[in-house]
Amino acid sequence: MEFTEVLDKKTIVTHLNVNNKAEALDAMTEMFLKTGVVSDKQEYIKDVYIREEIGETGIGDYIAIPHGKSKAVVTPGVAIAVLDHEIEWESLDGKGAKVIILFAVGADNDAAQEHLKLLAMFSKRLGDQAVINKLIEADTAEDVVQAFTEEESISENQPNGEEELDLDEISIM
Amino acid sequence: MKIVGVCACTVGIAHTYIAQEKLEKAAKNAGCEAKFETQGSIGKENALTAEEIDAADIVILAIDIKIADTERFKGKKTIQVSTDVAIKSPNKLIEKAIQVVEAAK
Repeated sequence: MEFTEVLDKKTIVTHLNVNNKAEALDAMTEMFLKTGVVSDKQEYIKDVYIREEIGETGIGDYIAIPHGKSKAVVTPGVAIAVLDHEIEWESLDGKGAKVIILFAVGADNDAAQEHLKLLAMFSKRLGDQAVINKLIEADTAEDVVQAFTEEESISENQPNGEEELDLDEISIM
Repeated sequence: MKIVGVCACTVGIAHTYIAQEKLEKAAKNAGCEAKFETQGSIGKENALTAEEIDAADIVILAIDIKIADTERFKGKKTIQVSTDVAIKSPNKLIEKAIQVVEAAK
């Protein structure tokens, strides 16, 4: 199986017009509900917020990756929303969110190892700056899929205004 | 220079693997050989061998949780950060690792 199999155009939306995190999560969970990824919208969203409370899910460069382990998840999946305008989101670099990638993972992982493996491979691609740049520019669901499937670039991950390390954040042994 | 490390986040589905990718790329950009094991919801992937750990100049742990098998790194120069730091500043982190190794020479 290829990791691109986790990408379902039915759970990808571009030019989503929302004003805040709650509206975005609501619209995206609705896609999960329609495709049978989750069985209970409110319960799933509640579990996503539990993860949100642990720490920032904005990974920088306008990308947010909310996710939650939830009993309401029937089968693991991912939903992607490219927004029309930036919304507020707690992030590592203080920027808001323009692209939201919402993960749905079941509470019982053993049942879905194969799927989780695909999600992990998918996550890995989010560490590639070239993928991120293409995602932000995506106009259609097809563009979103292509951002992930295109050949890996070589000049990726150039330091672009990376923050200095805070020595309190590092322990050296 | 050779770097090994482990990435592990709380849920084990996203940050773990993003951190792995960012650190591997940053290390490559800096001309280092690097391998990062992931301990996530699918268990251990890209597992480090005893030989790889032995040959490494430094260990980078980008972890938010207690990880398995830390005794493997006993006696090795180790840098520990959260996955957030690895995702936010991978190049700076690798730079720091190189400094630490150089300083110990």
